[in-house]
Amino acid sequence: MNRLSKEEVLHVANLARLELTEEEIDTYAIKLKEILDEVDKIKDIEVLSDEVMISPNDNICVLSDDKEKEMLTKEEILKNAPKKYADYIEVRGVFE
Amino acid sequence: MNKEYTPTIGIEVHVEVLSNTKIFSHSINGYSDSVNTNVNIIDLGYPGVLPRVNKEVVHKALKAALALNCSINKKMHFDRKCYYYPDLPKGYQITQNETPIGFNGRLKIDDDRYIDIEEMHIEEDTCKSIHVNGKTLLNYNRSGVPLIEIVSKPVIKSSDEAVKYLESLRELLLYLEVSDCKIEEGSMRADVNVSVSKTEVLGTKCEVKNIGSISNVKTAIEEEIHRQINILEQGGKIVPETRRFDSKTNTTVSMRKKEVGNDYRYIPDADIPYVILDDSYIESVKKSLVMLPNERRKIYKENEISDVNIDKLINNKPLSDFLDKFIDKNINLKIASNILLGDISSYLNKTGQKITNTYLENKFIDIVNSLNEGKMSSKNFKEIINDCLEKEDTLENILKENNISLVSNEDDLLIIINKVLEENKNSVNDYKNGKDNAFKYLMGMVMKETKGSANPVVVNNLLKDLLSKDVN
Repeated sequence: MNRLSKEEVLHVANLARLELTEEEIDTYAIKLKEILDEVDKIKDIEVLSDEVMISPNDNICVLSDDKEKEMLTKEEILKNAPKKYADYIEVRGVFE
Repeated sequence: MNKEYTPTIGIEVHVEVLSNTKIFSHSINGYSDSVNTNVNIIDLGYPGVLPRVNKEVVHKALKAALALNCSINKKMHFDRKCYYYPDLPKGYQITQNETPIGFNGRLKIDDDRYIDIEEMHIEEDTCKSIHVNGKTLLNYNRSGVPLIEIVSKPVIKSSDEAVKYLESLRELLLYLEVSDCKIEEGSMRADVNVSVSKTEVLGTKCEVKNIGSISNVKTAIEEEIHRQINILEQGGKIVPETRRFDSKTNTTVSMRKKEVGNDYRYIPDADIPYVILDDSYIESVKKSLVMLPNERRKIYKENEISDVNIDKLINNKPLSDFLDKFIDKNINLKIASNILLGDISSYLNKTGQKITNTYLENKFIDIVNSLNEGKMSSKNFKEIINDCLEKEDTLENILKENNISLVSNEDDLLIIINKVLEENKNSVNDYKNGKDNAFKYLMGMVMKETKGSANPVVVNNLLKDLLSKDVN
């Protein structure tokens, strides 16, 4: 199979919260498959350790002090919000 | 409940960690402050920002992991849990998936009962979203609040056991000062996984999320067991799903389908290098752990403190901490606990004082010993308690100042005791006939006759002596 199924494309689109047209579904069924096949090549590499490598260097995390600084004002926060309601940032309604 | 079905329960608990600032930024860790005031660009997930790991959070998480008898991941990293939701502006939550700080632990919930802990990890809270009139409103004060999540193995067998587990866990985290565990305010939340089965093979599980109180956990589990058994009895199948507990109807309700398993696409967060916990650090944290509630209970019990008082002490950490300073001082801990929970608690409640801000500590041993040896009666102690807690002076001086001295002279006391025995021949006979209460009565009469100034220990011994002679 050189393409993903329609369900697979819709599943990925749903995770990314994207709405796709039928035409786009058709396109991505092929393009996504090409990308996945490319990434799959990484499986051919012989891995010598089970340990997860998160970085090519061995830098160690320097922990930070538990001290307050660098906070924004409420005005600064709300200035960049698309919409606000009282002191809240307002976004399109979602329901649990 | 149908007896043929065995429930199996696993619990995930999230607690907010007590710290000044958030896990990955220097904003104040204060969710309940004025809306959107404790926020910076890291909490807002602006592009290009770099999270830093708060030392205090790692420290507290390590304390909790060690107290839960976990093995420690000495080289740990953070992972990104990806999903899109307005409460998570980065599109991922920073958590620990591959290398949780602790794993394979256990928590004692009863004399012979331990609950196994699968793992314990550090993560950030999301921002708080509220839904009003079709709008969703966001408060970023909660974004980046440090959390630890403690995941039990599916080994809990009943709703009562679940309650015990949560209470023990809460007690432990409070004692460690890892979290204030205020369940009503959301700083401790539980998700429960419930399944039922008639065989050794586990049934299909459902998760009930975000339960806000321990009593609701009990109800939610019982309801969920009941619901699943009903479905199975009617020949149905359990659909694995996430449900929520509705406290108005006391039932569990199916929730919108969320991402599961692979859909979260965990990847290591390369913005945060490895966090290394070296052996000497782990050892120093281990040594700094306070005595935990279970150990305290055991010592209290060995010292014959009553069960009621043990519970009261454990629930009052400042008093328990105070008492613990005297555990190896060879004093009568039962008397010590009685006065701590009695007159001393009353004084502290009345004055709003903290026990550590009083002068009790330097004379506590003398007070307990004097009560134990009868050099001071509990009535005397009531009279001088203010002085004992407010003055730096010794107990001896305080007793002198208040003209309190108990009559211990045996000759003086014998005169009074003989008089009492003479006047209460019926009680003497009762005692001879085996009525132990008569002894208490005679003792009381002597104390009354001396207006409480007799040394009760001396009176007790003299009285026993005289009566036994009489009996023979």
